[in-house]
Amino acid sequence: MFISKAHLLEVFFTKLVFNLKSEASKTHLSYVWWLLEPALMVAVLYFVFAVFLDTGVPNFVVFLVCGKIPFLWFSKGIVHSSNSIMEGRGLITQVSIPKPFFPMVVVFQDAFKQTVVFIFMFAFIIFYGMDVSWVWLNVIFVILTQFLLICAIALLVAAITPYFPDFNLLISTAMMALMLGSGVFYSYKDMLLPEHQQLFLMNPVANLINNYRMILMDNMPPDWTSLGSICLGSIALIVVMMRYFKKTDTTYARLIAQ
Amino acid sequence: MQLRDVTVRYKSRRSFFRHDHYTALDGVSFTIKEGETLGVIGANGCGKSTLLMVLANIYGVDEGDVIWHCRHVSLLSLALGFDIELTGRDNAIISGMFLGARKQTVLEKLDEIIEFSELDEFIDKPIKTYSAGMRARLGFSIALKMQSEVLLIDEVLSVGDENFKHKAETAMTHKISSNQTVVLVSHSMLQIEKLSNRVLWLHEGKVKTIGDPKKVISEYTSFMDKTSDH
Repeated sequence: MFISKAHLLEVFFTKLVFNLKSEASKTHLSYVWWLLEPALMVAVLYFVFAVFLDTGVPNFVVFLVCGKIPFLWFSKGIVHSSNSIMEGRGLITQVSIPKPFFPMVVVFQDAFKQTVVFIFMFAFIIFYGMDVSWVWLNVIFVILTQFLLICAIALLVAAITPYFPDFNLLISTAMMALMLGSGVFYSYKDMLLPEHQQLFLMNPVANLINNYRMILMDNMPPDWTSLGSICLGSIALIVVMMRYFKKTDTTYARLIAQ
Repeated sequence: MQLRDVTVRYKSRRSFFRHDHYTALDGVSFTIKEGETLGVIGANGCGKSTLLMVLANIYGVDEGDVIWHCRHVSLLSLALGFDIELTGRDNAIISGMFLGARKQTVLEKLDEIIEFSELDEFIDKPIKTYSAGMRARLGFSIALKMQSEVLLIDEVLSVGDENFKHKAETAMTHKISSNQTVVLVSHSMLQIEKLSNRVLWLHEGKVKTIGDPKKVISEYTSFMDKTSDH
């Protein structure tokens, strides 16, 4: 039993820092990988789509980077958090601890690494020769919206997996489907029928990717209505999940131990 | 702490829709008084460990109520939340915090923990380089030095080699006999008799008797002798 919320927050942030430290110590290049991993991915995209398979579409590499990097953040966050409660078995069966602790540590850990990735991404886009303007600052709101969305979905999948361990296997397939449905590799304006475009943008991940591209490629402000709706929806889901976890808190330990 | 008619059932899956039920605790009621040490005895599978899980608020109950008149109850767990990539020092900090202490408190006690564990300069090495004995010593030292209003102990009174074992047992015995409220589960009747103020005998998830250690233990041993004769 934790004495106070302040104590829980203290444990949360200590655990977060230690997890990042632990993750870095597993490899020889440790923290360098946080930068190296996205750099390698962008390099591959660059060589494949700008050098070998030059489709003639202007700035296609930037288009891909603006889609792939935010998408990877989302999918990694969800895949990592889906199993987080099961992986917290050692703690859950020994101490009374609110279960959202586990997915949230994972989400914050990924978010922390993602800031490095985003800085790299902006640098690459500028280096590539796109115009920078003050409009770019709006990207912060898109990032925050995406963070809220990841928190909400992470709590949801983390709550489901202990009940249906098979669900975990479905997630990677779901992420593949989501990638295809979010326009990471294509522009919805060119590929979809006009009557399907509205439906496409109902997918929050597709919508966010579209907003990243609007800001970073076209120097346009984001679609505030969409961002606002995604934020509100995410907050609503977070509230519902927190209440759910509060109500069912002690059932998870028994579920996991059996 | 007070338990009223507490029942806990486990469900284990047999096939997709079919479940087996098994009652681990069945209408258990008793009270734990401040400062006392309550020993819990009983055969394997009688619900002792489940009882501690309920008291620590890790498991919920299916029926009945648990009333805590205290703010902090913790299960004495060794190596709680250890991460093998981290140093002994970092692990001591996070483990102590999971056991319920604030970071500042753990930091203040860190020197005592390191000294008791006899790890010396190894404390700043990742614990993946430790031997099993070293890990156990660190885990034990953290658990020993952390404070809790009510301490729940499941068979962990000492660890390590002969020398450390003696030191650990003395320190833990001292901790239990102090004013600390303790619920102690053990198979060693000697320890239970020595340390407890009262003893609870659990039999097939029910309270068989609760009361004076000597009396309950002698009833229990004669009962066990009888069943093993059959």
